[in-house]
Amino acid sequence: MSDGALPRVFLVDDHALIRSGIRTELGNQVELVGEADEVEAAIEMIIERTPDVVLLDVHMPDGGGRAVLEGVISHQSSVKFLALSVSDAAEDVIAIIRAGARGYVTKNIEGPELIEAIYRIAAGDAVFSSRLAGFVLDAFASQNGEAEVAPPPFDPELDQLTVREREVLRLIARGYAYKEIATELNISIKTVESHVSAVLRKLQLSNRHQLTKWATERRLL
Amino acid sequence: MGGVCGGIAKRFGVDPKRVRVVAIIAALFLGFGIALYMAYWILVIRQGEEKSILSRTGSDKREKEILFVGAIAIFSLMLALQILGVNKFGILTLFFTLSVLGALVIWRGVSASEREHLRRLTDAIARFGSSTGEGWSGVALRTVISIVFILIGVANLSRVSRRPGAASGVVVGATTLIVGMVVLFAPWWIGTIRGLSNERRARVRAQERADMAAHVHDSVLQTLSLIQRAADNPLEVARLVRMQERDLRVWLVDPESFGIASDPPTTLAASAFEIEHEVEDSYSIAVEVVIVGDCKLNSAVLALLGAGREATINAAKWSEAPSVSIYIEVERERITMFVRDLGRGFDQSEVPSDRQGISGSIMERMARHGGHATIRSMPGAGTEVELVLPLKTSS
Repeated sequence: MSDGALPRVFLVDDHALIRSGIRTELGNQVELVGEADEVEAAIEMIIERTPDVVLLDVHMPDGGGRAVLEGVISHQSSVKFLALSVSDAAEDVIAIIRAGARGYVTKNIEGPELIEAIYRIAAGDAVFSSRLAGFVLDAFASQNGEAEVAPPPFDPELDQLTVREREVLRLIARGYAYKEIATELNISIKTVESHVSAVLRKLQLSNRHQLTKWATERRLL
Repeated sequence: MGGVCGGIAKRFGVDPKRVRVVAIIAALFLGFGIALYMAYWILVIRQGEEKSILSRTGSDKREKEILFVGAIAIFSLMLALQILGVNKFGILTLFFTLSVLGALVIWRGVSASEREHLRRLTDAIARFGSSTGEGWSGVALRTVISIVFILIGVANLSRVSRRPGAASGVVVGATTLIVGMVVLFAPWWIGTIRGLSNERRARVRAQERADMAAHVHDSVLQTLSLIQRAADNPLEVARLVRMQERDLRVWLVDPESFGIASDPPTTLAASAFEIEHEVEDSYSIAVEVVIVGDCKLNSAVLALLGAGREATINAAKWSEAPSVSIYIEVERERITMFVRDLGRGFDQSEVPSDRQGISGSIMERMARHGGHATIRSMPGAGTEVELVLPLKTSS
């Protein structure tokens, strides 16, 4: 995305009603370059039009958002994905992030927040909802609770969150916006963003078995 | 049958018919061909699939067990026949045994699409000559085959009476007779079984549809009519929608438990979601709960939840914000709970001292259980209540 230009957005959702709702909310604040309502067409058009950000419905027939993500990323790794879902199932959220999405928001997000999220993703940052932040904190919890003895982390660099990252996630989970987090922790918004991106990277790359185990155990929330 | 002949023909560029003829001749000689055919089917990867049947079976513990049990069963059957003196362990028996085993492996290990193909094939064979089949020639053929089997069986049995002491004749005769009967009655028999299970499936499906309809009627349609009636009250509409949404979610995730009065919650997380539901239903505000970790309830945890509930209701009543966030984190040494809204906020020094809510229900309640509460609020900038409950660690 070049400076000043609107981010080019592609919308994938199998419900026409949802698409038109999102279209209205986005208004003229982004450049909508296309829409698709099924996996095959979505992959083809996204590869052809190379948008900056794809708004991706997690639940669709024929493999869902994940199939689109995997189909596109293998051809065009520069396209960034923001997952949209009505579901808050931990499994789905963790799965789509690990497949490569750079953020996750629920469909009842307010218009301005969605637009902010799109700009943030287009700029290469990550977007965590408070629910997702909670999931991540839970999954990376420093297993000193219960009787369960945690296995030593396989890769300390990837398998643990730093104190600062934990603080940032906690504030997101408490419902703080990035700006409020920056004020609260006395750091710049840029620093907040880089912490969140670092967490996203760990979430995607860590082989920590807790992550998957945890996600399957907590199917409903 | 499994596309093996076609595959070989394609590989070597010969006419598939010729390969098939060779295969059938090989099958007739000593059963050697059948075993070879099976082996080929099991080992070679089917076009368009990733794994061979063997690797699929080998990677599944349960499948291996089934195969093992099957092998034992077949070999003991062979042994029993051997003892009865029916058959000697010849090369024929060996190949026959291997073929039966192979069939077992194939039946368990084939992929879904291939299984469908196989089912159609066996179906066609079994139904061959049935009244709904290809007409009279099929029926005639089937009848002739079965009569031949039955005659051979009867002949074998009658010969036994003249030659006493030969148990083998009885077994062979009886088996042949049974095969004849099965061939004769298979179409009718399969038809009956199929009809029964179809009927049962239809009944289950009708039952499910009735349940679904009942649920849609009870919850969704009722709510929709309530929404219509409350159309000019957006807050009420939002409340109804949230309630319905939650209800549908529960139903989708766990239809079994739906409608059954749930027991009082026994964990922190479950209680927190109860607060969410209660406040959302009673006030027009969205409550978002995020919980990290969980623990069992005790009096201290209940006090924390009570204080948190009070803080949430305060936010719902006074903040005028559209939503309130609850965040709870359970750690080893303490539980922390935050209740935050972005509403109008207030100046704490201006709250009249006779207001029971904050001091009694929140501050003192926390203090009684060794915890504390901090309230941060500024007019116009929202309110956040922080509750901390230290946990006594036994170690």
